[in-house]
Amino acid sequence: MPATPNSIKLIGGNSHPELCEKVSKKLGLSLAKVGAFQYTNKETAVAVGESVRDEDVYIIQTGCGEQDINDFVMELLIIINACKIASARRITAVVPNFPYARQDKKDKSRAPITAKLMANLLQTAGCNHVITMDLHASQIQGFFRVPVDNLYAEPSVLRYITNNFDKKDLIIVSPDAGGAKRVASIADKLDVQFALIHKERQKANEVSRMVLVGDVSDKVCILIDDMADTCGTLCKAADILLDNGAQKVVAMVTHGIMSSNATEKLNNSKLDRIVCTNSLPLNDKLAQCPKLEVIDIAPTLAEAIRRLHNGESVSYLFNNIPE
Amino acid sequence: MRKCKIFVGSSHPELGRLVCERLGVEPAPCTLKKFSNGETSVQIGVSIRDEDVYIIQSGSPEINDHIMELLILISACRGGSANKITAVIPQFPYSKQSKMKKHRGAITARMLANLLVMAGADHVVSMDLHASQMQGFFTKPVDNLFGAPTLARWIRHNIPDWESAVVVSKNPGGTKRVTALADSLKINFAMIHTDRRRTQDGYARRKALKNSFRKNDDDDDEEEDNIVSEIQTARIVQGHVVNDDYPVSNGTSNGIKDNSDSLDKTSILDSDVLGGSYDAANSDDEDEPTSINQEKLITLVGDVKDKVAIILDDMIDKPSSFIAAAEHLRLNCGAKAVYVVGTHGVFSDLCLEELTNSKCIDKIVVTNTYPIGRERMEKYKSKLTVIDVSPIFAECIRRDHFGESISVLFDSLAAIE
Repeated sequence: MPATPNSIKLIGGNSHPELCEKVSKKLGLSLAKVGAFQYTNKETAVAVGESVRDEDVYIIQTGCGEQDINDFVMELLIIINACKIASARRITAVVPNFPYARQDKKDKSRAPITAKLMANLLQTAGCNHVITMDLHASQIQGFFRVPVDNLYAEPSVLRYITNNFDKKDLIIVSPDAGGAKRVASIADKLDVQFALIHKERQKANEVSRMVLVGDVSDKVCILIDDMADTCGTLCKAADILLDNGAQKVVAMVTHGIMSSNATEKLNNSKLDRIVCTNSLPLNDKLAQCPKLEVIDIAPTLAEAIRRLHNGESVSYLFNNIPE
Repeated sequence: MRKCKIFVGSSHPELGRLVCERLGVEPAPCTLKKFSNGETSVQIGVSIRDEDVYIIQSGSPEINDHIMELLILISACRGGSANKITAVIPQFPYSKQSKMKKHRGAITARMLANLLVMAGADHVVSMDLHASQMQGFFTKPVDNLFGAPTLARWIRHNIPDWESAVVVSKNPGGTKRVTALADSLKINFAMIHTDRRRTQDGYARRKALKNSFRKNDDDDDEEEDNIVSEIQTARIVQGHVVNDDYPVSNGTSNGIKDNSDSLDKTSILDSDVLGGSYDAANSDDEDEPTSINQEKLITLVGDVKDKVAIILDDMIDKPSSFIAAAEHLRLNCGAKAVYVVGTHGVFSDLCLEELTNSKCIDKIVVTNTYPIGRERMEKYKSKLTVIDVSPIFAECIRRDHFGESISVLFDSLAAIE
């Protein structure tokens, strides 16, 4: 018997209501009536207010919040579990910024691989599919036993660059050696040069010495990275680029985490502007930092959800932006 | 103890320290902190290869952070080739969400059990699980220790005339726990039932019925009277016991609104979809947001007149039902004193303050499975007593490590005294 057609149920977590709203508008669907709240003893509880039986459920929850990130993780797990128990046909977690993505290797003795733990947590809760964006390391896809669609913000970034800059005096710069591949791919597509900054790291979130490889004199430099956390790297990179004769420096990152005093650092830095996607809520940061600009990625997520639901290929989105 | 490491999570360092002291070992070094973006970071500072690892982490007000910390710790120990990993969770978080009580609710306690096992826990030790059936959620062995022997000893040593005291359950769901304590102390027990569905009309009718019984009893049989006299009923309005002539509140105060279209977080609970199902759920939990506004009927089954009443529950979380029960016992049923006794003193929000302020409660007794904080303990010490249960956990860890039976810990404290 062929499976009866079912429909999309879109559930928004509390981490990023604005993005949920945008995706739901783009899809022309309203968000399902699901409430996540906290008891007075701070335990998270979830109420699924409408039937999800045999439906295709998509839960949008991003990793954000210096205080609440673990609360949002638990909330996502509990929503997934509630939907599973309520007999949803398929549960897809849409996690634009995958939390704990940077703890992805045993870099010291007895260090936990928390990204792997996160993958297992999602699967244990009952997740059947994961959609995420610009994973810190694509190997994280291999941590899952369920399919993972790693979307790219690259097409959106490319469009922003072509719309806002002149290709003639442009150079793409990677702030660390690990991001060289990402940068090379963008430089290839734009047909421009690229440079690389090597940093010697001693501790997480602390940058010591930096070496520039490539010629940036009189060029407009675009620093590209997957996330901006404390922004120390970006600010130092900007200093080095300007010391080496760059005309101006612009940073483009997918995930603008901007923790602790990042906005302050950016305001005092020599960066001309910083462009992030809205994979994390940035409203309060926008108010604090006039240099910040936001690219909307909701259309990409919405299109991925639509294509996934209809069984169409998602690879189109790797190179194109849905209109 | 050789080949054994004890890690203390950041939820309840006090208990962890006491357990380690009792065992005569130092807590194993580990760095627990948070990255600037809020992610939890764990670093284990000593080799754990082929060792027995015990991780002590309880519930706490920053519950989700501490759950993540526990999971990451377990996972790090698994990755560091530990021989056996035991999670010691004195107060098991999310244990009240152990059944599907609403439409499409999550069974979060089971999910947490799965998460712990998945992260790499080989064994779980807890105390007074909200429902002992929760042991079945795990695919690994679970030792559910009991707080009752400790509480029983405290009662024997500290309550005058405890021999004539009565252990009271404040809801029918907890009766089993109450009878167990009453049996071990060899004293009587009673039960309180609060009914949300019956209205004033029903109460008036019953009252009239009772009066008519009394009239009949004057010239009829005595048996009926015996049964009726042990049932004491009163009304609760706004969480407090009131007299019979208290004005009847009108129906709008029950807080159930019909705004199911809205996505507002509180209204989604009150909406038709979910509001109806709360009633269907067994009323042994009190997490309904509307329950306090509704007028209810409180009934005591049993006799506490001129006796000490001990209200026992596994967890003291919200104060309203304890206060209502204490008022009923004290004001209407003639109890001499009221003690509120529980294993886990969660005391969310202003619970401790409200319980202390209630004139009908003489003492609040809990164990230290849940962190209360020195400051709060000092502030409310006039009524609050916290009993140390670290010897039980220490003994459990010792016995588990040496492969001895821990069943003696279930029914007596002889083993650790």
